[in-house]
Amino acid sequence: MDLEFQDIRKSFGPKTVLDGVSFRARSGEALGLLGRNGAGKTTSIRILMDVFPADGGRVLADGAPIDHSRVSMGYLPEERGLYPKKKIGEQLVYFARLNGMSKTAAAEAVDTWLDRLGMTEYRDKRLDTLSKGNQQKIQLITALAHDPDVIILDEPFSGLDPVNAMLLKDVVKEELARGKTVLFSSHQMSYIEEFCHSIAILRGGRIVLAGQLHDIKRDYPRDRLVIRSEQADAIAAAFPDVCVRRENGELLLRLPSPEAKGQTMKALTERFDIDELRVFEPSLNDIFVEYAGDQEQGGEKA
Amino acid sequence: MKQFGVILRFELGNYLKNKVFVGVTVFLVLALGVLLFFPRIAGLFKDGGDETAEAEDRPVMLLDVSDADEDTLLDAFSAAFPDYEVRAGDAADIEAQIADGTAECAFALEGLGSYTYYVEDLSLYDMNTDIADQVLGQMYRLGAMTAGGLTPEQAADILSFQPEYTVETLGADQGQNFFYTYIMIFALYMVILLYGQMVANSVATEKSSRAMELLITSAKPVSMMFGKVIAACLAGLFQLVCVFGAALLFYRLNRAAWGDNPLMGALFDMPPALLGYMLLYFVLGFFLYAFLFGAVGSTATKLEDINTSVMPIMLVFIAGFMVVVFAMSSGTVNSTVMKVCSYVPFTSPMAMFTRIAMSTVSWVEIALSALILAASVFGVGVLAARIYRVGVLLYGASPKLRDILRSLRRA
Repeated sequence: MDLEFQDIRKSFGPKTVLDGVSFRARSGEALGLLGRNGAGKTTSIRILMDVFPADGGRVLADGAPIDHSRVSMGYLPEERGLYPKKKIGEQLVYFARLNGMSKTAAAEAVDTWLDRLGMTEYRDKRLDTLSKGNQQKIQLITALAHDPDVIILDEPFSGLDPVNAMLLKDVVKEELARGKTVLFSSHQMSYIEEFCHSIAILRGGRIVLAGQLHDIKRDYPRDRLVIRSEQADAIAAAFPDVCVRRENGELLLRLPSPEAKGQTMKALTERFDIDELRVFEPSLNDIFVEYAGDQEQGGEKA
Repeated sequence: MKQFGVILRFELGNYLKNKVFVGVTVFLVLALGVLLFFPRIAGLFKDGGDETAEAEDRPVMLLDVSDADEDTLLDAFSAAFPDYEVRAGDAADIEAQIADGTAECAFALEGLGSYTYYVEDLSLYDMNTDIADQVLGQMYRLGAMTAGGLTPEQAADILSFQPEYTVETLGADQGQNFFYTYIMIFALYMVILLYGQMVANSVATEKSSRAMELLITSAKPVSMMFGKVIAACLAGLFQLVCVFGAALLFYRLNRAAWGDNPLMGALFDMPPALLGYMLLYFVLGFFLYAFLFGAVGSTATKLEDINTSVMPIMLVFIAGFMVVVFAMSSGTVNSTVMKVCSYVPFTSPMAMFTRIAMSTVSWVEIALSALILAASVFGVGVLAARIYRVGVLLYGASPKLRDILRSLRRA
């Protein structure tokens, strides 16, 4: 199902939380919804899930205004929490039934998912007897058991060990392959880069950057060079003010314009012993910091 | 609607599977069983002949008589105090005997006109001096009459004159219905308060455990609120029916053993229509308060906050209860205060029910009161659902009333 936010606005009292937010997520693709704390991600998600209406703008599903009674959604909230004192199987069935499943279908789906995530043995245990990671897997089932069209995952990897993180990645990839639309919100950029075809970066209630990730990266100005060399100090001294040393020991050299890169590369290889030389392509982390950060952080970036 | 059914079943299951809920219900039923089967059980162990043993167990009352007429006075006191074993005592050691427990109380007479009453702890309900006054007054008058020329028989006749009368109750007999009304009002009070609190706690628990994040996106707030309140109402009703039903059943089974114990008669001889009124006012009153409790629960962030935030509701409710109980015990159930209270929705469940039970109220008044209450339940329900909708998403410090009202206007 294709989802589209069109110019969504929302204020709480005098505070404007969303100020004309537009983005789209395509069926079978994951959209990374990014932004710093308080940027408006949770509000966007709640509007999408009809917890409260938007003040203005439209949410479209496959091009038509969304009908919340027809579109089923699964949600893994950032603030995790279920009933701590209740048996796991019981509450999972309850949540699946709240999302419209019949009793038998819900029980069946819950069993399937418990098995898929290797949690069958905990079916009759109380939730508060489980470790944090396992509770998280249980919470994930509440988002998936009713086979929703749209899956919203808010910080799904926090608290998972690498094995469980791998399991979750596999599950998300399976769901994407089945044509589900996944909305992904995380501060762990490596996961977003791994999954998301598109991203939308929110800042202060506005979208500051949206589109397909590889387009964004390609369109990034190609005016910086990454240099790995034993003579890094000498290179840095030769290009004062425009050369920065990165944490991994590489040098980042800012050029006056993208066109200058051929000439500069030639000059560098002639003058110094270079191990590696390439045009800098920003990671999502760099992009995020540049767009979502405030002015000061933007300045510190390069 | 389907969602509401799922929520209702889930919430009701929470009560019925709760060990405390089941335990308390079973305990109450068992306790009632023991209490009401008591005369029958006690009868099994009694083999006649115990009467004398009982007589010896009576507390001792000492009588110190200064003049010679000791035997007459001893007889008169023995007759007037059947619960005591009246013995002659000596002024010298009365206090010592009471102190060491051999005697419970003592009268030191100085003629018929004056006496000192000795007792260890004077109970609030100690009527002994009143009885002694009567005995002594009677004897004084008897003496005076015989001295005046009447025979002792004539004098006794005159003194024992008692007019005969019968009472024809056209309305309600408050002596008869006081007990069951009191018990029903008390049950109403307990159940509304307990289950109302449970609704508030259950909402606040969902909020503090963050299960709310998921619930609010899966279910309509109105379904959640109504599911909870109706489940609590059914659970409370179930418990009431169990306890009252068991009491009634056990009494029926043991009616013969209880004989015509006046207290039991006063407790169980209630008109069936009254049970209907109780159900009506219980359900309406319960909804009114449970909605409020639910709304308050939704504004609390931590469970600890609940206790302070439900305070205003509790105060209104307890004040209503006090007014009703005071009116009942002073016999003024139709006072102006009670009449006003029986129309104010927050007090009418208890006030109007008491008036119906203990006096005669026209059906117009009952209908009006029930109608006002039902309309208020509807209004409060709508308001509570809106507060709930806003409240469950507010985290952090408990919001002020002003903030809630402000966000209500926006919601």
